[in-house]
Amino acid sequence: MLNIKEGSVTHWAIRVVGALLLVAFIVYIPTQSETARIGQFASGFTLIIAAMSLNLVLGYTGQISIGHSAFFGIGGYTAAILIRDHGWSPGYTFYAAAVIAFVVGCLIALPVLRIRGAYLALVTLAVAVLFPTLLRWRKLEWLTSGAQGIDSVKYDELPVWPILGELKGRDGRAVFAYWLGLLVLVVTFLICRGLVKSRVGRSLVAIRDNETAAAVMGVNITRTKVIIFGISASLCALAGVLSTLSSGVVTPDGQYVTLLGSIIFLLIMVVGGAGTLSGPIIGGLVYVWLDNTTRGIGTDSKGIVGYVFGWTNQSPATLILGLALIVIMLFAPTGLVGLIRKISRRIVTVTPRAITTE
Amino acid sequence: MERLLQYVFDGLSFGAIYALLALGLVVVFRGTGHLNFAQGEMAMFCTFVIWQINDWGVPLVFAVLIGMLFGFLLGAGTEATVIRSVAKKSPGGVFVVSIALFLGLNSLASMIWDRSEGYTMKSLFPNKPEDFVRILGAEWRYKYIGVLIVALALMGMLFLLFSKTKFGLAMRSVASNPESARLVGVPSGLVLAASWGIAASMGALSGALVGGINGQITPSLMFTVFIYASAAATLGGLDSPGGAVIAGLLIGVGEQLAAGFAPGWIGQDLKLSVALISIFVVLLVKPSGLFGSLKVERV
Repeated sequence: MLNIKEGSVTHWAIRVVGALLLVAFIVYIPTQSETARIGQFASGFTLIIAAMSLNLVLGYTGQISIGHSAFFGIGGYTAAILIRDHGWSPGYTFYAAAVIAFVVGCLIALPVLRIRGAYLALVTLAVAVLFPTLLRWRKLEWLTSGAQGIDSVKYDELPVWPILGELKGRDGRAVFAYWLGLLVLVVTFLICRGLVKSRVGRSLVAIRDNETAAAVMGVNITRTKVIIFGISASLCALAGVLSTLSSGVVTPDGQYVTLLGSIIFLLIMVVGGAGTLSGPIIGGLVYVWLDNTTRGIGTDSKGIVGYVFGWTNQSPATLILGLALIVIMLFAPTGLVGLIRKISRRIVTVTPRAITTE
Repeated sequence: MERLLQYVFDGLSFGAIYALLALGLVVVFRGTGHLNFAQGEMAMFCTFVIWQINDWGVPLVFAVLIGMLFGFLLGAGTEATVIRSVAKKSPGGVFVVSIALFLGLNSLASMIWDRSEGYTMKSLFPNKPEDFVRILGAEWRYKYIGVLIVALALMGMLFLLFSKTKFGLAMRSVASNPESARLVGVPSGLVLAASWGIAASMGALSGALVGGINGQITPSLMFTVFIYASAAATLGGLDSPGGAVIAGLLIGVGEQLAAGFAPGWIGQDLKLSVALISIFVVLLVKPSGLFGSLKVERV
């Protein structure tokens, strides 16, 4: 059992070493790994951003939403349409998507204000199911290209970033998606951190814990809920833009545009730890790792894995995911972050600095 | 007039199925306050079990009964093992667990019954081309009539169970105040497990009915039906069984009418959207559904 004072030399040393290890890891992946691994991390970043956006609404404010896949789709489609039909440069589509999703998010939040709990879950479920059918609607085909989706960004049209050197072909695209994803991830993280650690964040938590009490203490419930929903929607749209830029294609059946996307965002947030800043990051990395490990399981698997799953020719990935989720809810209901905190508290404790009034 | 009647007939049968599944949602919600996202997938899994038992040579009627029993055990077992202990730790966690069940059951079914073209399911009712009665020019197929009768009969039995039996009284007492119910000696754990079981076995029946109408079952059998059912439960009010039935029938008839009379605008692709948008509008005016009771909150 170790006891460290906040701001002491040991404390700073641990922080610096931790930061250096993180930077080393971040640089190691795109320079030393194979293309597939880089791509996995890039898509992981996209999912982390989406889970972070959901965290603002669900984790901090306590509003269930399983409709975030629609905002993801709005981002993806905004980018694709602007690039294909209007010749926009990919970078600017982030701003457009964020603005559009903010407006749509606020518009959806307004009627949803009166609805709570299970009703809210079902209404947002309706949003998630409605969105892909709208994309496929014949009357909107001029905009969305219907079921076939939009193929917008070509491999050779990626912007040049001198700092990354020459990016070509599949490898180049993966490296590009990695750094772009990381950049947007950092921006999203900073926005969330700024919100959560401020007056806004405290009013969100107050609303989550007791809405009436929050109102009594002077929190403007309507304004806070609507704006946070809008911000959350626009952050989720950023993830959608990223996904379009890195894969080049959006379709109404895209994994994250449909209800399944909302479920995955929710899952990542819960596994990592709802209502924590680092939760979505840890959850996202674990999800991508689990997903890629279990997808490989098939009839040709050897050893105990082959023995357990050898009888079927379908991938057991989703089954394992479901079981893992149940186990986490049973044994670590506060998510992995809660678990890590609990364990690390047994080993190291940090004594906070005494508050002095000068 | 003919067309109108035709749409109403078809709509009533589909609506009865939605109502059946929606009732499952309501029974669970009333008992425990939780939303069972896996209601549809439990029903789908039971339908495959029914198919399997039928395939082994057991007559379909008995297979359905065994499937409903299996559903009861599946639902009650899930509640007693997983749901209860998660609910104790974090109430919001139950919703997450039901999502996990949704994913897990769907995946497990597609692993066990892995023929990608699906499996042929027989209907419980006569289903030859000439099996229909003609009422005012509209054809009412026996299989649709059968579905409607079976669904309504089961709902009637359920209402009797709720209102006339000791078990129903226990269920209502647990729903209204679990603490007090336990204090006066109601075995609340048993009641909760039983309500999940009843919900799942109604799901099994609705699955078998859907399978019979479609003639084909795949692991995505119940997904759209579940969306309709959840729309019905929301529209009727999550804690109102009567509301779920009325809303289910309304949605069933409404979607047929909308798709039939506005084929250019709505048609088959958008009829689901009609149901979803209608719940949006209703909830705007009445946040707890048409027949749901408003929850009084204390600070």
